[in-house]
Amino acid sequence: MIPLRYTLLFCLSLLPTHLRAQDGEQLYGLYCAACHAPDGKGATGGAFPPLAGSEWIHGNPKRSVAIILKGLTGPIEVSGKSYNLEMPPQGDALTDDQIGAILNFVHNAWGNTGQEVKRDLVRVTRAEFESRTTPWTAPELLKLFPLEKQDTALANLTSRVYKGQWNLMPDFNKIQAENVEEEHKGILDTALAAMKEDFGIVWEGDFMAPVDGEHLFILDADDGARLILNGQPVAEVKGLGPMGSGKRISKGKAVLKAGANPVRIEYFQGKGEQGISLGWKLTGAKEWQWVSAQTPKSKPGTPPIPLTPQDGKTVIYRNFIEGSTARGIGFGFPGAVNMVYSADHLAPELMWSGGFIDAGRHWTNRGQGFQPPLADEVVTLTKQPILAPSARFKGYSLDPNGNPTFHIKLDGQLLSDAFAPGPDGTLIRTLTLSGGASVLEIPLGDNPSVTPVKSVSLAPGKPVTVTYHLK
Amino acid sequence: MRPLLFLTALTATSFAQTQKQSEFYTIEPIPLPPGEIMEIGSIALMPDDKVAVTTRRGDLWICEGAYGDDLSKVKWTRFAHGLHEPLGMYWKDGSLYLTQRPEFSRLQDSNGDGTADVFETINSDWGINGDYHEYAFGTPPDKNGDVWITLCLTGSGGAASDWRGWTVRITPDGKMIPTCSGIRSPGGIGFNAEGDVFYTDNQGLWNGSSSLKWLKPGSFQGNPTGNKYHKLANLPAPPEPQDKSRVLAEHLKFPDYIPPAVVLPHGKVGQSPTAIEPDLSGGKFGPWAGQVYIGEQTHSQVQRVFLEKVNGIYQGAVFLFLEGFQCGIIPAKLDERGVLFVGGSNRGWASRGNQPFNFDRIKWTGKTPFEILTMSAQPDGFTLTFTEPLDPASAANPASYSMEAWTYILQKGYGSPEVDKATPIIKSASVAADGKSVRLVIEGLVRGHVHHLKAPGVKSASGLTLWHPDAFYTLNEIPK
Repeated sequence: MIPLRYTLLFCLSLLPTHLRAQDGEQLYGLYCAACHAPDGKGATGGAFPPLAGSEWIHGNPKRSVAIILKGLTGPIEVSGKSYNLEMPPQGDALTDDQIGAILNFVHNAWGNTGQEVKRDLVRVTRAEFESRTTPWTAPELLKLFPLEKQDTALANLTSRVYKGQWNLMPDFNKIQAENVEEEHKGILDTALAAMKEDFGIVWEGDFMAPVDGEHLFILDADDGARLILNGQPVAEVKGLGPMGSGKRISKGKAVLKAGANPVRIEYFQGKGEQGISLGWKLTGAKEWQWVSAQTPKSKPGTPPIPLTPQDGKTVIYRNFIEGSTARGIGFGFPGAVNMVYSADHLAPELMWSGGFIDAGRHWTNRGQGFQPPLADEVVTLTKQPILAPSARFKGYSLDPNGNPTFHIKLDGQLLSDAFAPGPDGTLIRTLTLSGGASVLEIPLGDNPSVTPVKSVSLAPGKPVTVTYHLK
Repeated sequence: MRPLLFLTALTATSFAQTQKQSEFYTIEPIPLPPGEIMEIGSIALMPDDKVAVTTRRGDLWICEGAYGDDLSKVKWTRFAHGLHEPLGMYWKDGSLYLTQRPEFSRLQDSNGDGTADVFETINSDWGINGDYHEYAFGTPPDKNGDVWITLCLTGSGGAASDWRGWTVRITPDGKMIPTCSGIRSPGGIGFNAEGDVFYTDNQGLWNGSSSLKWLKPGSFQGNPTGNKYHKLANLPAPPEPQDKSRVLAEHLKFPDYIPPAVVLPHGKVGQSPTAIEPDLSGGKFGPWAGQVYIGEQTHSQVQRVFLEKVNGIYQGAVFLFLEGFQCGIIPAKLDERGVLFVGGSNRGWASRGNQPFNFDRIKWTGKTPFEILTMSAQPDGFTLTFTEPLDPASAANPASYSMEAWTYILQKGYGSPEVDKATPIIKSASVAADGKSVRLVIEGLVRGHVHHLKAPGVKSASGLTLWHPDAFYTLNEIPK
């Protein structure tokens, strides 16, 4: 008895992994294919739910284990189609190893990319739901194991962003892309390019068709867009114009094979509003499945995050501010006066009164682009380097109220450039030069209503004060 | 009938005892300041058990109590705000040093009120133009006191600003030395235990899969987009790699093109590698002393890497390690006492888990998992060492192992499928006298390929199967 047991044990552990992998396919054929079909598309022409391309195999693999162990009953939506069937529980018929093998096959077959199911996971899941005697319902499963949000029908999606001015769809193959991204969420979103006008986007990836058969598509865009599936144009919104009115919507259909179908969506934006919406459904289905951040009714945008001084102290915003350079540093002073200092040009470049800045663009999503100040009127002081090319930005210090003094290293001299709010909507600037003997000419720009002088001469050891009137 | 019954019974008993992460490591979320959005980009360890973090929103917070037994008692102080996306930070001699997007800077609290009032710019000699992709990741100082900063391309296809696609060093006196070219899209930079510098680069143009790359000074890392700046450095540009080639082929043509030390096969070992952190805890974080941990943003994991140098080139194996974090991991910092801090963000890309940001503390429970500890290349195979004594029968059985090998297309296009697939054959497996290592003799090793070892049949003397039965070894060089 004992020797026999050891022999068998030894033989089992000898099974190489590729045989186990084949096991999964064989076991699937034996236990699952009757309903789900050998090709995973659902037996009898899709009367049963597909596993190929199904959103239910993604995310927590425990969900799949739980379904096999206890079965599933009642209405369920799979790949945009509704089913109302009974799946019998298999927990008492299949061992942990077999369930693991089947799921590892299903999670990797037919273009699926589900997570690996380890034997331990099956064992743990079995123990966790041991006392359950009834099959699952779809709402129960969704509560325990929500579907991953990024699982749209668009898989392996990348986006390429192009700059250019067009009235009609250009040939993007002839233009160099500015940027390429992976779009793991499988969502088309023009806002992620964070450009206002004169740009294009090409998304490429796989449209994961749930079943063989005819699929319907609905495309709308501001401005132009084109949908290409398996190399064939399916829908196109031509030229310049708004979306959402229904007048420019393009519908198309394509007969697809279940699984991955190469998809390409081209888009370009001229001026003004932008956006794209793309939906799909199986012929006969009611609801469109959207694979875009916008639907024809929604508007894009990031949540506003306006910044204001806190506790009487100046607030700093170091990011890309429209009108200055990439090394701009924004200051929102108490008293609603504001400034952007360019650490590239070594000068205050923008001043305004009123609200400071909305950080929403840079603090959500990917943070692309320059953000304009929160004001209608912004005074531009200077726009170019004001000191010799050898001048170096050495940073800033803050006084107890958070007001900055910038430090600049010159040949043999140091320049301190301090800013603080004054009375009646003024900003007081104090320039101090130390070391050496040279006098420094500081241009102030040409804005007589803000400050009457266009430049000041700065001698070492003799600070100069400039008052800016912003209200 | 009888044999069948036996078989069923034995199938049940043949299940080896399995191992769970929670037996070996505890992951504890550290409570964050209420109401704050803390997408953490860098972590620095400070005196008096304080831990500093920077956020995407430009805040620098200092946490007291992060080592404490009761994490509900942590106290947070905002030390600075208005920073420009710091992705590198360390503490030295009373100052916090930051790699910010536009500059390398030093922050000080000169009046002792608990907040920074000096923001000194030490160096800002690289370009930025407002493209969000132009990230800058920085290290702590190396053996010479230099800080290494790796500069992402402009977008992923351009180098519109000076030194994009390069790694530079900032010397203690504030000079910038352009040091390596060929960078695409870094997710982190750091040292191995020997103090050599590595960075992680993400799959994309000229990058078939994400990988851990060795920043050998003067090396080219494969993406030619930033090569126009060799002119600025008064250096000859490397030859442009041939499109649709292989890394090995281009390395043989141009030896300064250093191949990735460890490829992190796309999808199998994460999708977006980030932080690099060596284990200098001397065994306080488990038996992995001297190895390297890598953060992973998309899969919200920490991977483990064993590195070795063969013929002067780094290579080695990556193993899956920690998982189940609630958000994609960006920075990581391992204390010498064996406490690992990780932080993260989903940052407009998707990541596994339910949180938009996180800050976690990970500790070793003291229990050693049964794992492959190291995997070293041999002229005709590999030597594996294990963390626990082996069951000699299963470990000496070649059928307990299998191997697949592949590489990627080096191309201008985005990423690559796995290509040139091969199936090396495990000819023999010999257990060493110490009972903790195995010498595999393998037929059909392929230089330049990722070798995926699967060892599900190996058991420990106490009957455990491996916690992680997979290893991915990048065989840049086959030892002679």
